[in-house]
Amino acid sequence: MKKMLTLLLSAGLVATATQAISSPQEDLEKFRIHYEQRFPGIQLDEFGNGPYALDANKRLQWESMEEFPPYEEYVDKGREIWETPFKNGKSFASCFGKNVSKIRTKYPHWDKKTGKVVTLEGDINKCLKDNGEKPFGWKKGKIAYLGAFIGYEARGQKTNVVIPDDPKALQAYEEGKQFFYAKRGQLNAACADCHVYYPGQRVRGQVLSTALGQTTHFPVYRAKWAKKGKGDGMGTLHRRYGGCNKQVRARPFKAQSKEYRNLEFFHTYMSNGLEINAPGYRE
Amino acid sequence: MKKLIAAFGLALLITGCTASTPEKPTSLQAQYESALKNAQAAVDKAASVGGEWRDIRWKKSKKKYLPSAIKAAEAGDYEKALKLLEIVQFQAEAGYKQAMAQKNAGPRF
Repeated sequence: MKKMLTLLLSAGLVATATQAISSPQEDLEKFRIHYEQRFPGIQLDEFGNGPYALDANKRLQWESMEEFPPYEEYVDKGREIWETPFKNGKSFASCFGKNVSKIRTKYPHWDKKTGKVVTLEGDINKCLKDNGEKPFGWKKGKIAYLGAFIGYEARGQKTNVVIPDDPKALQAYEEGKQFFYAKRGQLNAACADCHVYYPGQRVRGQVLSTALGQTTHFPVYRAKWAKKGKGDGMGTLHRRYGGCNKQVRARPFKAQSKEYRNLEFFHTYMSNGLEINAPGYRE
Repeated sequence: MKKLIAAFGLALLITGCTASTPEKPTSLQAQYESALKNAQAAVDKAASVGGEWRDIRWKKSKKKYLPSAIKAAEAGDYEKALKLLEIVQFQAEAGYKQAMAQKNAGPRF
């Protein structure tokens, strides 16, 4: 009997340990299978359209919005920002290279030198600082316009986040994953609760989107963010993370904090292989 | 004799009043100070593990229980301050417990 118990306990421990050290690739496969089983018949790239892949009525409304997309003028503003030289005569191209369409798919990435996850927004502001310019705000405005332009130019290319075989990078990935699945705030809800276990369900008038494909359309134009006092509608992924945390009554972290950068690392990796369709329109 | 009793009663009343009037706020103030210290420590503990809830002190929260408690105490309303600190204490402790319980959170599939 004792032997039996020992054997069972060991098997349990091994199973737990295996689960704890599942590789990013294994996580990705399980993640995909979950959505394939939950939404059979929906093509992989369709998940990049968020709730509009899940709800026919919402899709019709969205398609009519896309005829004259409200984000278009901000893509143009982003192009202007890209083309405007800094005071020192250099421009964003001196930091990112001349081919705008090749930028977006490089982010987020692991930087071995600094031991940090680097985001597009982080590098935009680094470029400004390195060239003696004032950095942009992190969540909306110019940073979102430039991100929208860079995303627009990369449309159709596939998300391709690489998690290097580096213990620190893997730790950052694991921290992002833990953040994503951890319940938080007074409502005791995790990102995963809405976007993994209950996508397609409604929260008031909104249809919950799948976590798969969520990162492909950022920066985003949200009708909610175009209301008085909220801005012009444009916002970054970290603005949205903060909004989600706020909605579950957790204190949001700062945009570009370690917590959100690691979350972006995990979250975007889960959408590897999906086409970039930024900027997107959402309610 | 009657006059003496009345005078004695009056004296007692005055002593009672003068003694009780300052005593109440001093006691509440002491309670508040102790509760504030405890609440702030609990909030810091929750924040240290990323478990702070929105309405404790976040600048964009409409409630901001902790700053509201401090404000109420500054206005002399210690009872209100104590009630608010009770919420802060509860939320901070719950946030800490929640964060610790979710340390190994992962997928259910």
